[in-house]
Amino acid sequence: MTTSIAPKAPYLAAQENLSKRLVEKYGTDRKVEFDKLNEPIIWAKSPEDAKVLFKSFMVDDVFKMDFLSDITAYDNKDHEDGNKRFVVVYQQYSTTLHVRVRIKCLLDENEEALTLSDVFKGANWLEREVFDMFGITFKGHPNMRRILMDERFTGHPLRKEYPIKQREPFKDNIAFHLGANPKSIDTHILEGEEN
Amino acid sequence: MAAHVQDPHQLQDFYNPNVLINLGPSHPAMHGTLRVMCRVNGETIEDANCEIGYLHRAIEKLGEEKTYHQWMVYTDRLNYCSALNNNIAYAMAVENIMNISITERCMWIRVMCMELSRIIDHIICVAINALDLGAMTVFWLLYHWREEAYTMIESMCGMRLTTTYARIGGMSYDIPDNLRERLWKFCEDFPRALDEVEGLLTSNRIWIDRTKGVGVISKEDALKFSITGPCLRASGVDHDLRRDRPYYVYPELDFDVVVGSNGDVYDRYLIRLEEMRQSIRILKQCNDRMPEGPLWVDDKRVQIPEKIDVYTKMEVLIHHFKIFMEGIDVPKGEAFTCVEGPNGELGFYIVSRGGPKAWRMRVKSPSFMLFQSFEASVKGGKIPDAVAHLGSVNIIAGELDR
Repeated sequence: MTTSIAPKAPYLAAQENLSKRLVEKYGTDRKVEFDKLNEPIIWAKSPEDAKVLFKSFMVDDVFKMDFLSDITAYDNKDHEDGNKRFVVVYQQYSTTLHVRVRIKCLLDENEEALTLSDVFKGANWLEREVFDMFGITFKGHPNMRRILMDERFTGHPLRKEYPIKQREPFKDNIAFHLGANPKSIDTHILEGEEN
Repeated sequence: MAAHVQDPHQLQDFYNPNVLINLGPSHPAMHGTLRVMCRVNGETIEDANCEIGYLHRAIEKLGEEKTYHQWMVYTDRLNYCSALNNNIAYAMAVENIMNISITERCMWIRVMCMELSRIIDHIICVAINALDLGAMTVFWLLYHWREEAYTMIESMCGMRLTTTYARIGGMSYDIPDNLRERLWKFCEDFPRALDEVEGLLTSNRIWIDRTKGVGVISKEDALKFSITGPCLRASGVDHDLRRDRPYYVYPELDFDVVVGSNGDVYDRYLIRLEEMRQSIRILKQCNDRMPEGPLWVDDKRVQIPEKIDVYTKMEVLIHHFKIFMEGIDVPKGEAFTCVEGPNGELGFYIVSRGGPKAWRMRVKSPSFMLFQSFEASVKGGKIPDAVAHLGSVNIIAGELDR
């Protein structure tokens, strides 16, 4: 293998262990692939299965995946990777073993992925970005709004059919959200009097 | 006093627990186009909400429209404070997919560039953070050396801020002959400026009062929010991709990973200061051990021919034309390549379906995760604390919004 990785890097042994176990334990009824850096990719059978896999990698002794590196997606319009429209990609990392595993999940346009924001707080914005760019919604997400584009924006820019030169300018701002429950002024002053 | 007033509504403005304060997107203390809406009760921020996207330039979409070479210039505009780092990380990602192993000399040059840009990035962070808190001398002291570093970069690739120095399979130019001397002088003199800064800040009562215990990100929170880089290390997690997932010649180099304990602004400042010293150590080793040899990988698919050959030999001209007009042919496959950028794990996830353009070009930026945690960790502090906190995590809007 000729890449940027330093030969005999200490984590490579752990990666081999992980790949072996991934094939033996989880790969019996799921497709397991290896990318150009020899890092394992596992295809979840359903969105529910993706979350189950994600959680079981967190507690598995050989995996020890305690870190969420990235959540993203890509358009599978040419059906190269399967018959469904999108592929959602979860990148997991272990801060103790320094290995990565990638969970992929095929999704159709009308299907929903499951949120990971209850497991990792960091998933919140990443999932919002996937929603913004691809229009994939995440079931159970606390705040499924657009993040980079304006809320009035139409379309999802990273879908392949979205033309690169399409513009949608807005003349004004929209009111800014603050997702908290404001306190009542009256009760606050009464509280102050008690003190 | 509320108790003396008959009608409590007269004091609504005074005791209103729902005052909204908007910081940014164009506010001198917001680094770039960041916007935070804070709900303050008295002086305390009780709730905060961040809005991003003001600098969104569809860089990921352009990654699918441009050829691999053309897209190199867009990587400069991600984290524009350390453009070299992005250039090299991106070149590395494409090389990984093409199974290209660059030459020894190129590896050393790249490591040198990455450390130089790390120093620049940390200088910006520390200097601006101090400037925001009123310590202007630090800014002048450090920016002199940032200027010197940029001049060195200029001598390498002809550009200062947006460098576009790396190429797939090599670098656009070899380093100039006088760089060795210049770098040596930099490595000798810059630590003295760091000493001075340390003398001004580290035990300065005002600096400590403003930074200690401010903007604390706990170890657990840092992991849950997927923070990487200096901010993660400041929270006490011993994690550095240069050591843990070594690439290029990092295993041969002698350097320490700096780990903090409290995760506050003060720790992040100390971490950055010490990391600059470690980078100087690496730079010295690069300077001493820079090997001779070819700069470009001997691979016809990516090698950009010498200009003199392009002008004199027809085959080479055609080859040159094909590389730049059609782009290089990257085989089908994918890879997620990460480097330890100045702000944390900078990853390029490229899905290639063959051909000169990427199918999906994902930039995993550290600032995105950092700004998300900012929303949570700014609560409970005061407005000036928010400014100190924001300066210390060094969010770069270009990388945040892409």
